[in-house]
Amino acid sequence: MHALTLPERGHFDEMLLQSGAVRSQYQGFSEWLQAQSPEVLHRKREEANQLFHRVGITFSVYGDDAGAERLIPFDTIPRIVPAAEWQTLEVGLKQRVRALNAFLHDIYHDHEIVKAGVIPAGPVFGNAQYQPMMQDVDLPDRIYAHIAGVDIIRHADGGCYVLEDNLRVPSGVSYMLENRKMMMRLFPELFARHAVAPVDHYPALLLDTLRKASRVANPTVVVLTPGHFNSAYFEHAFLAQQMGVELVEGRDLFVRDDHVYMRTTAGHKRVDVIYRRIDDTFLDPLAFRPDSLLGVPGLMSVYRQGKVVLTNAIGTGVADDKSIYPYVPAMIRFYLDEEPILSNVETWLCREPEQLDYVLRHLPELVVKEVHGAGGYGMLIGPAATRAEIDAFRARLIADPAGYIAQPTLCLSSCPTFVEGGIAPRHIDLRPFVLSSGQDIKLVAGGLTRVALKAGSLVVNSSQGGGTKDTWVLED
Amino acid sequence: MKLAIRHETVYRYDSPARRSTQTLRMTPRDSAHQRIASWRLTLPGPASAHVDGFGNAVHLMTLDAPHEEIRLLAEGVVETQGGGWHDDAGRLDPRVFCRATALTRPDDAIRALARAAADAHPAAPLDALAALSAAVLAAMPYTPGRTDAATGAAAALALGAGVCQDHTQVFLAACRALGHPARYVSGYLLNDDADHAASHAWAEVWQDGAWHGFDISNQRAPDAHHLKLAVGLDYLDACPVRGVRLGGDGERLAARADVRPLEQ
Repeated sequence: MHALTLPERGHFDEMLLQSGAVRSQYQGFSEWLQAQSPEVLHRKREEANQLFHRVGITFSVYGDDAGAERLIPFDTIPRIVPAAEWQTLEVGLKQRVRALNAFLHDIYHDHEIVKAGVIPAGPVFGNAQYQPMMQDVDLPDRIYAHIAGVDIIRHADGGCYVLEDNLRVPSGVSYMLENRKMMMRLFPELFARHAVAPVDHYPALLLDTLRKASRVANPTVVVLTPGHFNSAYFEHAFLAQQMGVELVEGRDLFVRDDHVYMRTTAGHKRVDVIYRRIDDTFLDPLAFRPDSLLGVPGLMSVYRQGKVVLTNAIGTGVADDKSIYPYVPAMIRFYLDEEPILSNVETWLCREPEQLDYVLRHLPELVVKEVHGAGGYGMLIGPAATRAEIDAFRARLIADPAGYIAQPTLCLSSCPTFVEGGIAPRHIDLRPFVLSSGQDIKLVAGGLTRVALKAGSLVVNSSQGGGTKDTWVLED
Repeated sequence: MKLAIRHETVYRYDSPARRSTQTLRMTPRDSAHQRIASWRLTLPGPASAHVDGFGNAVHLMTLDAPHEEIRLLAEGVVETQGGGWHDDAGRLDPRVFCRATALTRPDDAIRALARAAADAHPAAPLDALAALSAAVLAAMPYTPGRTDAATGAAAALALGAGVCQDHTQVFLAACRALGHPARYVSGYLLNDDADHAASHAWAEVWQDGAWHGFDISNQRAPDAHHLKLAVGLDYLDACPVRGVRLGGDGERLAARADVRPLEQ
């Protein structure tokens, strides 16, 4: 028998009701769990750790001097999503990404949404992520974010909300794939008892998306990495290997006669699609930061002429910026003439004086984030902060209001998780990966579930001590 | 006025460079201010032409055989208008030009210059900008050799010296600190003063729906003596040549631009 700690009152738990009863999608798993001895499960967790070390799934944490690389903890209790719930999420995600791509095309062409007054000009054109070099570049099928990672949370009210759109170089999909492989290896009997939607075709879908991104017949695709010191290098190598394409660094590519080539042992080969995992400003020292050694000189010129495809496009960061996020529902109405299927989290823009005023009066109950921040750095979680931390943040807010947004402190749903001394609820989120091409938008069922391993913590980022879980979408 | 331009740039390397990639913004485009009668680039290798996001004509040139020098020649004839012309926004929203870049990041000294000029002419932005232009030149008289292409606005102002590129970038940083969209212009100037190079840089500020020019180094509005090559957020976006190379060791640069008036 395993003692399960019940969720706190007012929290939503993915598995358990307040009464201790098990939700229907977890019925089979719960029965199985109760039949396992704690010793066996402990041994399985040890085995998982050893295997992950052996495949080399590590993650380096910036600013952590002690250990350059560490393992992202993996929890063996899956997050289970019923089929009907996933269907709604899937339709909502496709709608959202369609609108975001339409927005990117618009703001780099005719600026209709700004002219129409639906989105103010400041956060678009004044945004450091807006790349003037993208004005009037005509991309195949008008796709900018070929790969999107959309962070979704469930609130105490049971509803799902989009927390953040990641349209630059979203990472984490390798953990989704490896977590599933690990679960199938450790607990094959669970997959015999459940109809779990597969995820292992993601690399094939990704390759298909990358190939469709080019107008060239039978295009050559490469993965461009900044190198092995990057925190997500494992994933770059993993995806290249899974897709059967070359993993290259900037120095392996060069520009000649309007095209990009790669050096290979068999000579030079033209490259048509670059799945780049390098930030915009490092891509080409002749167009962006002149000191970048990671990019390819002349790449931007070739790109503007349509002779190579970059996935994702340059300049997508303006659409996933926190100052643009509040306008995504308006984008969906403007471009698609549809009502948004997925909800946004209520957001106060501190650059608006009235909203700033509200935020300053409610700091102890709000979460305040830097507009350009990522990875869970530089944010204030009001209810968890000390008086002094709140006062320090207040000063930063007043000095640079446009640099911040605020949101209510969301009570992320929890999922039972192995912790020291048993199984207890820990907060989770979900990052599905959305693949867009001219013909269609595709997702594998589920995504990456991240879990905040510290009791009560709402920060799931792996750089902040978060772990991951396998995500099961049950087929009907 | 009809101007004839001949602009030769020569890079020489201490040992042969294995490959070079350059983006060249050496081709003027037609605008309210100027009409290109003829223009020709003579380059040592193949180059492709395109238009960048700012509307500049760009050539991308790649050399991948060993070379000890790169010789670039731009020449042509351009007809320019007198004063009072203003370019329109073009395709890019002018508010893009409100942002600071690495070369135009304001510091307290730049903000103070900006504030003083704005406070002196609270009701007349164009007068304030003219006062700002004068204040920038007074704070950093024209002095060749003290700054280079990598010198940022704040560093140049602190030196109290600079050339047209530094004057322009300090002015841009100050304008943007006041919230005005402002852009860098690279071009040529017909000049009787032999001390000043014919390659030139000045600024444009977006006011009342048009770009207004400020030649800070010469304390005048751009006129028929000025010829526009390219615009951008700072020197790096608009400069005539940006390049990287593999090998070659040290580099010596010789550039000469001649601008002369043609008889009508």
